[in-house]
Amino acid sequence: MDSDIEMDMESDNDGEYDDDYDYYNTGEDCDVERLDPKRADPEYFEYECLTVEDIEKLLNERVEKLNTILQITPSLAKVLLLEHQWNNVAVVEKYRQDANALLVTARIKPPSVAVTDTASTSAAAASAQLLRLGSSGYKTTASATPQYRSQMCPVCASSQLGDKFYSLACGHSFCKDCWTIYFETQIFQGISTQIGCMAQMCNVRVPEDLVLTLVTRPVMRDKYQQFAFKDYVKSHPELRFCPGPNCQIIVQSSEISAKRAICKACHTGFCFRCGMDYHAPTDCQVIKKWLTKCADDSETANYISAHTKDCPKCHICIEKNGGCNHMQCFNCKHDFCWMCLGDWKTHGSEYYECSRYKDNPNIANESVHVQAREALKKYLHYYERWENHSKSLKLEQQTIDRLRQRINSKVMNGSGTWIDWQYLFNAAALLAKCRYTLQYTYPYAYYMEAGSRKNLFEYQQAQLEAEIENLSWKIERAETTDLGDLENQMDIAEKRRTTLLKDFFPVDA
Amino acid sequence: MSSLPRRIIKETQRLMQEPVPGINAIPDENNARYFHVIVTGPNDSPFEGGVFKLELFLPEDYPMSAPKVRFITKIYHPNIDRLGRICLDVLKDKWSPALQIRTILLSIQALLSAPNPDDPLANDVAELWKVNEAEAIRNAREWTQKYAVED
Ligand SMILES: [Zn+2]
Ligand SMILES: [Zn+2]
Ligand SMILES: [Zn+2]
Ligand SMILES: [Zn+2]
Ligand SMILES: [Zn+2]
Ligand SMILES: [Zn+2]
Repeated sequence: MDSDIEMDMESDNDGEYDDDYDYYNTGEDCDVERLDPKRADPEYFEYECLTVEDIEKLLNERVEKLNTILQITPSLAKVLLLEHQWNNVAVVEKYRQDANALLVTARIKPPSVAVTDTASTSAAAASAQLLRLGSSGYKTTASATPQYRSQMCPVCASSQLGDKFYSLACGHSFCKDCWTIYFETQIFQGISTQIGCMAQMCNVRVPEDLVLTLVTRPVMRDKYQQFAFKDYVKSHPELRFCPGPNCQIIVQSSEISAKRAICKACHTGFCFRCGMDYHAPTDCQVIKKWLTKCADDSETANYISAHTKDCPKCHICIEKNGGCNHMQCFNCKHDFCWMCLGDWKTHGSEYYECSRYKDNPNIANESVHVQAREALKKYLHYYERWENHSKSLKLEQQTIDRLRQRINSKVMNGSGTWIDWQYLFNAAALLAKCRYTLQYTYPYAYYMEAGSRKNLFEYQQAQLEAEIENLSWKIERAETTDLGDLENQMDIAEKRRTTLLKDFFPVDA
Repeated sequence: MSSLPRRIIKETQRLMQEPVPGINAIPDENNARYFHVIVTGPNDSPFEGGVFKLELFLPEDYPMSAPKVRFITKIYHPNIDRLGRICLDVLKDKWSPALQIRTILLSIQALLSAPNPDDPLANDVAELWKVNEAEAIRNAREWTQKYAVED
């Protein structure tokens, strides 16, 4: 339902944006903006929703490419790619510079190569070494010790023939059964690509093919492959698991920024960079700080959760059952603001004062006690508004349900057709989108330093807030199929939203 | 109970035949996975002269998982808490199946010689060890005399 509107708004913007844009950013070339959607829409984000199979294919292509260039097994290629965020070019470059160092940092080889070879920095020597290891980073001891000679395993203390032993590039040799039990123990704990050699203080990593050669139980093999796949995806900077419950989709984008990705399968929207709920204009670190603070201070903020307030004029108890913060007392018809309880009539001009927190200019000279109280007051101001818009979003969802019933009865009574009333749903969807952004402007403002930039931000925030409440008011009371007025209001609200994002949403890709 | 793995038999034999100086580990007569351990306080440490009793148990999946070791004798040490639990990396994430009872007990002995208050288990002890080492060492000596010296 969202997408229709977005399309509409985008095409609308193309024509009308320029005046607004110039107002804030003189000296920018407007033609570029008209051509490039990345600059016209601050939330524009190109991404793909891929399945596990798609990703496996994508990763395997990288692995195969590296195999061909370096002549190594897929298993070792995976270790190298995992270590280098799947950047083939970086791996090949490092390999050509100093193959030995590459193998050591990727923990394929131990730091000092006393075991099979003298240290060598030439790529040829290192690849010769890999070939001696069967190009895979592990070997049975058969090559070093005659197969018929028996050897003692340090883990199970049993003597067995040489061909029952396996070792990695470090040369630490253990029997097949011990490796197998060890792998299963590690897999059981959720460890896969990070399984290390069994020897004490040895950090050489066990490549996938040795694990899969020795672990034969299908359950354990499956588990290993699942965990390894997770590690591969997490190490790839362009891939993110969809955070939706039980969703298997992986989102891919070459733009690693705090933009919103919406999963095509489960419709979960999230910030591509940090995986949390989308949080523009606030950036990832700040929203994390804010959410942690809210969780820590949840006790203090609890009293705010009131659903009822007294009418400032007749003092009758009023319950908030819609999202709009422009309240009208059912008893005395007084119009007031739910947030600050101020008169709505003067609110239009002074709305600025409602969203903004007025810092005490003398705070530095006050006692520690007063400063602490002031800090709490400031936090509660922002928290209250953050929380209120979050609640309004939920209440407006209920409004849409009521709207549906109302429209239904109107259509049944011959007042308009379903098509005539559709615009109201579009308006409600746009309202939700705008209010969502508004909610996330509060943590942004809370952490902002005082100054002219904060003044500009708060000015735009207040403008957005005013238009959103107007839109909410109009949607709740829409009685006709006349859309002119509402469409105009939608337009203004969305324009305020994009202007704010354009000026303050960090686009840092 | 399942038969004792060869590894445990071997380790036990070696512990009896070639004991580590200052360490004595004897399997319980009813349970070969349970060891009665005695570690003597290292020279030039505040634990010198003390005889510390420990218990050591080899879990079912040993050596894939680490032995469980605990001090029975009370000890004033920043990495050992009131219940005798020991904070030692080789007993936790640095455990490797190639490590043995012998190496673990040696590590514990080394921990008595070199307490590490930056990785504490007993917070109050570690705190004192950091701000007033002389007093902490005095306390450790006192405890050693009080709890770890047989009359
Ligand atoms: Zn090793
Ligand atoms: Zn073995
Ligand atoms: Zn999804
Ligand atoms: Zn984020
Ligand atoms: Zn009233
Ligand atoms: Zn207000």
